[in-house]
Amino acid sequence: MTGILAARNLSKWYGQVIAVNNVGFTLGAGVTGLLGPNGAGKSSLMKLITGQLRPSQGEITVFGERAWNNPGLFRRIGFCPEQDSFYERMTGAEFLQALLRLNGYGEAEVRRRAQDALALVALADARDKKIAAYSKGMRQRIKLAQAIAHDPEVLVLDEPLAGMDPVGRHETIRLVRRWGREGKCVIVSSHILHEVEAMTSNILLMHNGEVLAEGDVHQIRDLIDKHPHNIYIRCSDARRLAAALVGFDDVVGIRFHPEGDAVTVESRRPDDFYRRLPELMLEAGLELEEITSPDDNLQAVFHYLVK
Amino acid sequence: MPIYDLSYRHWSGEWTSHPYRWWVITRQGIRLLAQKKRFLFLMILAALPFVVRAVMLYFATVLGRSGIITVDARFFEQFLTQQSFFVFIIAIYAGAGLIANDLKVNALQIYLSKPITRRDYMIGKLGVVTFFLGVVTLLPAVLLFLLAVVFETDGKFLEQYYWALGAIVAYSLVIVFTNALLVLALSSLTKSSRFAGINFAAIFFFSQILYGILGGILRTSRVAWVALGNNLELVGNLIFGTEPRYQSPAWLSLAILAALAAASALVVHRRVQAVEVVR
Amino acid sequence: MMRSPGAARTWRDAKNVAFITLDTLFWSKKTIFVAIVSLLIIGLAVFGRLILSYHWVNAPFTPAQVFGTLMSTAVVHFLVVFVTLFYGTALISEEVEGKTITYLFTRPVSKAVVMLGKYLALLWVSALLVVPAIVLSYLVLYVGADMRPFMQDVGLLAKDMGIVFLALLAYGSLFGLIGAWFKHSILAGLVYAFGWEGIVSYLPGFTRKLTITHYIQSIFPHENTAGAIAMLIGRRTEPAEAVVTLVLMAVFFSATACLMVREKEYVLEQ
Repeated sequence: MTGILAARNLSKWYGQVIAVNNVGFTLGAGVTGLLGPNGAGKSSLMKLITGQLRPSQGEITVFGERAWNNPGLFRRIGFCPEQDSFYERMTGAEFLQALLRLNGYGEAEVRRRAQDALALVALADARDKKIAAYSKGMRQRIKLAQAIAHDPEVLVLDEPLAGMDPVGRHETIRLVRRWGREGKCVIVSSHILHEVEAMTSNILLMHNGEVLAEGDVHQIRDLIDKHPHNIYIRCSDARRLAAALVGFDDVVGIRFHPEGDAVTVESRRPDDFYRRLPELMLEAGLELEEITSPDDNLQAVFHYLVK
Repeated sequence: MPIYDLSYRHWSGEWTSHPYRWWVITRQGIRLLAQKKRFLFLMILAALPFVVRAVMLYFATVLGRSGIITVDARFFEQFLTQQSFFVFIIAIYAGAGLIANDLKVNALQIYLSKPITRRDYMIGKLGVVTFFLGVVTLLPAVLLFLLAVVFETDGKFLEQYYWALGAIVAYSLVIVFTNALLVLALSSLTKSSRFAGINFAAIFFFSQILYGILGGILRTSRVAWVALGNNLELVGNLIFGTEPRYQSPAWLSLAILAALAAASALVVHRRVQAVEVVR
Repeated sequence: MMRSPGAARTWRDAKNVAFITLDTLFWSKKTIFVAIVSLLIIGLAVFGRLILSYHWVNAPFTPAQVFGTLMSTAVVHFLVVFVTLFYGTALISEEVEGKTITYLFTRPVSKAVVMLGKYLALLWVSALLVVPAIVLSYLVLYVGADMRPFMQDVGLLAKDMGIVFLALLAYGSLFGLIGAWFKHSILAGLVYAFGWEGIVSYLPGFTRKLTITHYIQSIFPHENTAGAIAMLIGRRTEPAEAVVTLVLMAVFFSATACLMVREKEYVLEQ
């Protein structure tokens, strides 16, 4: 196995419950979205990656080393857990400094890194405030800060946007994208699809403990042959357009919209369709007003794979 | 062909009357605890002294009642006093987390948003602890009494000790309600069941140590009322009319237990609220 | 694979974990409760002093006897056991319940060292809460116009402090192990402390050596009822052997706890 993060035949079960089922993947630098509904096994997978759980079968390696009982790896891994739990009596600065000391830094370095991490997550002004007094968004940001303060090469972020306001979300998404560009291996879990779409197009889709798909969301969509692509077209005369399209063998369905000026076309070969469409519109003398593909996105991919 | 409406259907059955709403909480609490294998194992262990005493009763009948084993009122009083170890453990296991866990997860708001009162909640929770404590005290003690009656052929035991059944019930209720109310009060004071459990243990053991020290210094057992366990024992002596081990007056012990029970109930009543008002 | 850290690094990491744990252990409701118990013990010393001063009881008590009674019953067999039970069982389980254990287990620090650090914190907190109760009780009972008994018996005080420290070591490591092992650790701890030790320490033969209290009684300088009863049943262990055994017990239990924490999976409730 190559890559920064690699899983091979990885399984984890608790008694009769299989949390992760024979999962295999390889991840390198960049941002990967770990997607799935509640109970899909995302958190269990993240805990396996961060060595908090021992694999029942198979292996999970980070930089070629097994994750379980390998504390040295945590110099290079940063983990932002899902749970909203802290040492509430500590201030934000104390919390970061205490954890940074465990990373083995000297006192001056501890202070500098804590300050930088707090500034990065816009908590510099609240550094001396007790965490118990933080708002939900601030708590989420301090969690992120402790994950990045030691500048790890791998970032494992479990629902990092939970509880954040829109500004916080925007800033965090921007940070995640930046870390990906910097060459870090960032794995972000979420069940909110549009948030993940904003961060990356590279996904790992899980359901019932299994990986359903891995890779670029658009490529995955193309591979789902059994589901024809839906293409929404609004033009000056939808019925004439439909009449022109119906003769092509890649078109397997046409649906008219109630307003009458739009159709949704189902095509098995979207590339051919797009190539053909401009000429067809010109020949028929039609005016194109809008064209979109409602299912070239994560929601549709997820829906098709999970169904 | 009829098309069935699968949307939400309103309840068309009978509504339970209000006096029984606490039973829902009690029933659920009993069911949750009964699902735990370790707890069931503990309850089975608690039944062993009953088995031993039943065998003793049998041999007493076979060998004759005036022999080695005497079956009198003290026989049942001792059984109940000896069950205090299991009462202690079960009270902690079953009771320490009853209200503390609800406080931890903010479940009180959910409970009290339903058509139940605070009293229903308290009685419901009390019902859970008293049920299990009753199973290890009242139930086996009554069964022992019935066995003693059944084993006896000439009816003399019943004639002589018919009142012991009432004493068994009374002493069992004192033991059960004192322990249940105390553990519930401690559970209501914290969000940690561990903290409640250890406080409960501390009250018992430290009061015993306090008696040990005071009794040793003052060279008297008149201060036995200082220890909670001694108070229960003295009340048992009073109820069964047996010779007390300590010189402390039994009425004082009864008063202390009554005050403790009242204070515990008051604490629970004050603590069980849907919202906490911070001034 | 990364190289194992040296002793200096291990000590530094354990100390850092201890500081984090100290903060959460000390500033909690548990400390208020332990402080109240400590105050009650000091209150008993005050009561004893009043009896000595005003002769309420017609028995020739000496400050040493009252201090000895307090130490043997209230301090060693109650306060020490309770403090270590209270804090020891909470070392790991409270972090697991509070879900803060994730932060410690995702640092480049071995889980065994995390446990070691927590054990250090337990010793510090226990000593902080127990030692003042002992010293203040001693002062209350001895300080007066005639300071000769104070000076004469200060050796006893030093010995008691040593025994208390050994008891904290032994009980602390045992309850730390119980806390790391069992889910219902308080019950398991109570069953050991007041069930097992309460019964087995009075049994004849070798079985008594399976309790911590036997070794503590063997080196205890004060006579007490429990010790007297135990003497009737069997002999005490030689003091030197008892000290060594207590230290070895502490090492064994804490090493086992470290190993357990290292190998066990702590599944956080969702």
